[in-house]
Amino acid sequence: MGKTLFEKIWDAHIVVEKENSPSLIYIDRHLVHEVTSPQAFDGLRMNNRPVRRPDLTIATMDHNVPTNNRSLPILDQTSAVQIQTLEKNCNDFGIQLFDINSPNQGIVHVIGPQLGITLPGSTIVCGDSHTSTHGAFGALAFGIGTSEVEHVLASQTLWLEKPKPFEINVMGKRKNTHAVTAKDIILSIIKNIGTSGGNGTVIEYRGEGICDLSMEQRMTICNMSIEAGARAGIIAPDEKTFDYLRGRKYTPKNYESLVDYWRDDLKTDSDAKFEKNYTLHINHIAPQVSWGTNPGMTCDVTESIPFPEDFSKGDQNQKKGAEKALEYMALKPGTPITEIKIDRVFIGSCTNARLDDLIEASKVVKGRKLSQHVRAMVVPGSQMVKKQAEELGLDKIFTDANFEWRESGCSMCLGMNPDILSPGERCASTSNRNFEGRQGTGGRTHLVSPVMAAAAAIEGHFVDVREMDLN
Amino acid sequence: MKGNVIKYARDNIDTDVIIPGQYLKVHDYSELALHAMEGLDPDFHSKVKEGDFILSGRNFGCGSSREHAPIALSHSGIKAVLALSFARIFYRNAVDGAFLLPIEIEEDAYSNISEGDEIDIDIHTNEIKNITKNKTYKMKPFSEIIGKIIEAGGLFKYKPD
Repeated sequence: MGKTLFEKIWDAHIVVEKENSPSLIYIDRHLVHEVTSPQAFDGLRMNNRPVRRPDLTIATMDHNVPTNNRSLPILDQTSAVQIQTLEKNCNDFGIQLFDINSPNQGIVHVIGPQLGITLPGSTIVCGDSHTSTHGAFGALAFGIGTSEVEHVLASQTLWLEKPKPFEINVMGKRKNTHAVTAKDIILSIIKNIGTSGGNGTVIEYRGEGICDLSMEQRMTICNMSIEAGARAGIIAPDEKTFDYLRGRKYTPKNYESLVDYWRDDLKTDSDAKFEKNYTLHINHIAPQVSWGTNPGMTCDVTESIPFPEDFSKGDQNQKKGAEKALEYMALKPGTPITEIKIDRVFIGSCTNARLDDLIEASKVVKGRKLSQHVRAMVVPGSQMVKKQAEELGLDKIFTDANFEWRESGCSMCLGMNPDILSPGERCASTSNRNFEGRQGTGGRTHLVSPVMAAAAAIEGHFVDVREMDLN
Repeated sequence: MKGNVIKYARDNIDTDVIIPGQYLKVHDYSELALHAMEGLDPDFHSKVKEGDFILSGRNFGCGSSREHAPIALSHSGIKAVLALSFARIFYRNAVDGAFLLPIEIEEDAYSNISEGDEIDIDIHTNEIKNITKNKTYKMKPFSEIIGKIIEAGGLFKYKPD
């Protein structure tokens, strides 16, 4: 019987395998950031262990870096200490670090592909759940905890139970590729399969609707696999993948011969079997807006806030969850999504802060002004994205419309740096999680695409971006 | 392993409510414990006792990979989380650092066990006894690797056969 793409990569990385036992899997690339690594380095020191492969380990600081003027000192002392600790750890253990002043600094899942560190067929880990992003390149990439970070630093391997392959077919073509985005595809998938629909699996996204996407859009899809509960998401590499990585800073010297191998080998065999299947037809999907406190609580922009009993389809826990969510979000069932007013807009995060995202959002903003009662931030995913965007004049388009144009980092995705919501504030956000308090205690998050966030910023409430005249 | 139950009868308890993002800079585990479950239940710290268990629904620990989540619970005194299902990273974090036991239960245990019930968990017979209600439920056994890591006392103490 044939193998799925994920199974081929898994098999190629087995160091030790015995029947009915976990496998010891070799890790090709280890990405490190300031928040989930300090205890791991402490563990190495305590046991007098070196980092086994510093050359396969790359670090940056993204989670708690401020996104305002980089020449100013970091005011939050605990953040400053965590950042200094990473500098010291990288220095002590010989690890390449892209620090706060580096032109390569950025969100770890944005810089990996940009620097050519992310490669098809490789295994990639990071102490961050959104490591699934790198699966867009046909890599097996997943988030790990700090104990596992220490294990990888020490041994370049992990003991793992093999996940099951899950096939998600995305069929059809989007009618309006500007207004209906990769974010709307992945939110639609999570809405349908649920936040635990992918538990224990690696999702392979396939079909015409995936092949049509750019690399940056594919990253948005794989990024949110974790929001469906999956271990990882993966997309078979194709010419777009090979073109994207060609000539980047760390792309290997023998790149073309690797491409020949990837082209032939890195795909699911026609007779391979998946444990699970789901198909999404995208001909008619609408822009999505989340209304609740997990990414599965999402609906079309043309719909109204659902009644908990309709949403739950008879499941008591789901009903209770929806009621609590609406209470937290201060929303009434039956309210049209387009009547929801917003206070803040965040365009950024490892889900949607790449050049494509900013270009598309700028088309909505160009020649318009931010709604007077809204504060909006644009936070490029990396210094490189920021520079490219500025070369295209995007910064000017945003600042002319009264949006803030900021330095790169995780920013308002996770409420652990100065960019946070105040209690009760409502935000249209291009990030990945709408959990209670995620963007700051008492903050209310609605997940949307960059173009939907930009449109909401202009109008002061959600609008169907398909109806906006873009000249 | 005996203790009393704190019940959160809902699905999808995420790591952002178990330990909100602003505390991920805290390295002192006992200080981290002060903020455990703060995003969902601000009274948690005052009611939790050493040896208590948390009981919850599906997909417990979904979201971020922060190991701070099981650490905060463990240093609050929680010895095990019983849930209908777990998100994978939380599950492995709990076991890898030997912070607490993630125990998968069936619907009968979930609906039958109430807040405050005293229960006795036996991971060798895979049985959960409800001492308060005089009932017994099955827990799902640990897989082989998880059982071995637990037995060893964490990932770094685990030695393969």
